[in-house]
Amino acid sequence: MATIAVPRTGSAFRPAVLDWLTTVDHKKLGILYLYFTMFFFAVGGILALLVRTQLAVADSTFVSNDAYNQIFTMHASAMLFLFIIPIWAAFGNYIVPLQIGAVDMAFPRINALSFWLLPPAGILMFSGFFFGGSADAGWTAYSPLARNTGTGMDLWIIAVILLGISSTIGAANFLVTMFRMRAPGMTMFRMPVFCWNVLVTSILQLLATPVLAAALCMLYIDRNFGGSFFDPNGGGNVILWQNVFWFYSHPAVYIMILPGMGIVSEILPVFARKPLFGYKAFVFATLGIGGLGFSVWAHHMFTTGAVLKPFFGFMTFMIGVPTGVKIFNWLATLWRGSITFEPPMLFALGFVSMFLIGGINGTYSAAVPVDFAIHDTYFVVAHIHYVLFGGSVFAVFGGLYYWFPKFFGRRLNDKLGVTQFVLMIVGFNLAFFPMHLLGLDGMPRRIATYNEADWEALNMASTIGAFLIGVSMIPFLIAVVAAFMRPKDQPDDPWEGNTLEWATTSPPPVHNFDSLPEIHSERPLFDQRHGIGGHGVHPATGEGRG
Amino acid sequence: MRNAARRLTHRFVLIFSLVLLGSLLSVGAASAQFGQPKPVTEEADSLHTLYLLVTVAGFIVFALVTGALLYMVVRYRRRSDELPPQTHGNNLLEVIWTTIPIVIVLFLFVSSFVVLLDVEEDAEPEDLTVNVTGFQFSWEFVYDLADLGRGEGPGGEGTVSVIGTGSEEPLLVIPVNEPVEFKLTSNDVIHSFYVRNFLYKLDVVPGLDNSFKVTAHETGTFEAQCAELCGLDHALMRFQVQVMERPDFDAYIAGLASEQLEQARVP
Ligand code: HEM
Ligand SMILES: [Cu+2]
Ligand SMILES: [Cu+2]
Repeated sequence: MATIAVPRTGSAFRPAVLDWLTTVDHKKLGILYLYFTMFFFAVGGILALLVRTQLAVADSTFVSNDAYNQIFTMHASAMLFLFIIPIWAAFGNYIVPLQIGAVDMAFPRINALSFWLLPPAGILMFSGFFFGGSADAGWTAYSPLARNTGTGMDLWIIAVILLGISSTIGAANFLVTMFRMRAPGMTMFRMPVFCWNVLVTSILQLLATPVLAAALCMLYIDRNFGGSFFDPNGGGNVILWQNVFWFYSHPAVYIMILPGMGIVSEILPVFARKPLFGYKAFVFATLGIGGLGFSVWAHHMFTTGAVLKPFFGFMTFMIGVPTGVKIFNWLATLWRGSITFEPPMLFALGFVSMFLIGGINGTYSAAVPVDFAIHDTYFVVAHIHYVLFGGSVFAVFGGLYYWFPKFFGRRLNDKLGVTQFVLMIVGFNLAFFPMHLLGLDGMPRRIATYNEADWEALNMASTIGAFLIGVSMIPFLIAVVAAFMRPKDQPDDPWEGNTLEWATTSPPPVHNFDSLPEIHSERPLFDQRHGIGGHGVHPATGEGRG
Repeated sequence: MRNAARRLTHRFVLIFSLVLLGSLLSVGAASAQFGQPKPVTEEADSLHTLYLLVTVAGFIVFALVTGALLYMVVRYRRRSDELPPQTHGNNLLEVIWTTIPIVIVLFLFVSSFVVLLDVEEDAEPEDLTVNVTGFQFSWEFVYDLADLGRGEGPGGEGTVSVIGTGSEEPLLVIPVNEPVEFKLTSNDVIHSFYVRNFLYKLDVVPGLDNSFKVTAHETGTFEAQCAELCGLDHALMRFQVQVMERPDFDAYIAGLASEQLEQARVP
């Protein structure tokens, strides 16, 4: 094969930047996704602290009602659309091709396009602040309210459509990659559970996101071209928006959590030194959650008086079944294990315990008559965060500590990781547990201020907790900076992992693998380490190679 | 060595259960309703019972699973470099723990369904009707003088209304021990009619005729507010509900009526 010599001009800096801007390498794109999403995690976090500062005391005047509506809307929009959904593409991009033994994603250029749609979308969404105010109708953009607000709403709509395109083509790319690019021996039922979770997530994205795009186009037409899709005075229907919006956004809830469950299901077996208990049951439970996820959307609409309550209540309860199976499987994985508590494991255990609470407080909404009281109160805000923060964000940090050596060849300091974990789980519960009680007592969500003296103590506690979460990011940032100040010293497999990403260098070469171990199960590296199934240790990938 | 570990684990689980029980009791003691406001309607009584049921089920599941998790974490922390038994799964166990959640959720679903049928009864034509209109950013409550429900009433023609303003929260008055129907209308955006002590809310949706019925069994004044984001001053869309004895109610409406007829005559 001929080699093409690339002429080096200018400083070494220019090609490096150009390289990042034009890369189609799944690993580099994964890193770009990671930087982008963590940036918006910080932005969303700062907005959250503004929300909590405003609500710390009754009759607060820290921000105006107008500003408040923008702040909480952009907090949720950033956290959901610019952080948690795309960060799974960061992990997916980096890890999925490695775990299935592929050289790259199926369509590297489309992969680059998926990423490069994000920055313009982020900029558009936030540019509303410079055009008379950002979107302020909540991330749910309920009509008719969202038909009549300022320009920021149009920018928000376009941004979300761009993000939808990114996640749709990204999903197609993941699916083709997993269906077509697996290494020899890597059958579907030997694929790591993380890959399975990304697979189901991708199916959900592919089927649900276009529906959201359609809804957003209708809203845009209503706002700008005299449409009346959501205007009863023009023959439209107000509830139609909620139906199409939640038809996307309920599956989107699983889009936001399934890959996190995948990460946890990678971490628990490694740090307990046992296989994931009931691998197939776990895969089917994931598929089950995905399937049921399409039949529960109207559980967000029980108080509209326009949905078939028993049906949606029933289906919502049923989702508890595969979810319960997953929790039991995680517990059984720990059972009689040999557990150590490095930061990835702490965050994974944090996930299991906090997500459990998010599942339990979710049943309050599935029980339709109970939902009549708690819907649109702080109880629901507590629920959202036990799932998306206690669940997804803990999984994000678990995944970061776990794969950081693979991504960057350096390890995050364990002590700092433990410190972050302790601060975060204490701060998290202090911030969000009191919200249950506030919600039960009747404090509505999305209110810029309240005048009940009774609610002050709990709100103050919550605000203190929120700032503690903020503080917990300090040890993390120190750990990151400290890691980058050291040379790359990580071995291929620092944790005694099970899956193929640990069979190559940290970080891997551009072509990913020099050679692959034989694959006889969903744990090829475990088999290799213990000489099971194949012909002993493969010479090229023996352990200890630096 | 092993025994010491086991003893430690047992002590740990014991302490955990005590702490859990303690916090449960203290939460319960702090509020007689386990967090919910006092239910003041017949419907709210059943809603509250269901809430308690879900809470009990939730606490049991939480205690068992979290207890099991803590147990595993303490009991199976790494003590040697020996590889633990590699259990890949167990079909019987899988079946059992698929069945457990099915049973729990079916039980909760059936209970919810029963309560739902109970609280969503239709109103009778002779019940008092209050027409509620939500608007940015307050409420209007309209009574039809010819249709004031089961009391003697002031009688007469026309309607009386109570309307709130940005600076003044409106008061919604209803009689005790009588079914009252609320008909909800909006002409701008979606609002939600939420009275905390009813443990109930229903959205006020443009283009949709929503209504519900309650029978209050306790007099008093209760806080209420809009529960669906409706724009700038959504947070200020508060109102109060006052439940009165029937004669007081009639007198109150009669007072409103003469006041408003007076005003109507002035110009
Ligand atoms: C420091 C961490 C966080 C704090 C203190 C925080 C705080 C809050 C508060 C107080 C609200 C209620 C605002 C209101 O209803 O007026 C809220 C809403 C919300 N948050 Fe967070 N949050 C945090 C992190 C997150 C994360 C990580 C996510 C998602 C991944 C998230 C997603 C949401 C969503 C979806 C809403 C609903 C907004 C709406 O009603 O439209 N939050 N947050
Ligand atoms: Cu949902
Ligand atoms: Cu409102």
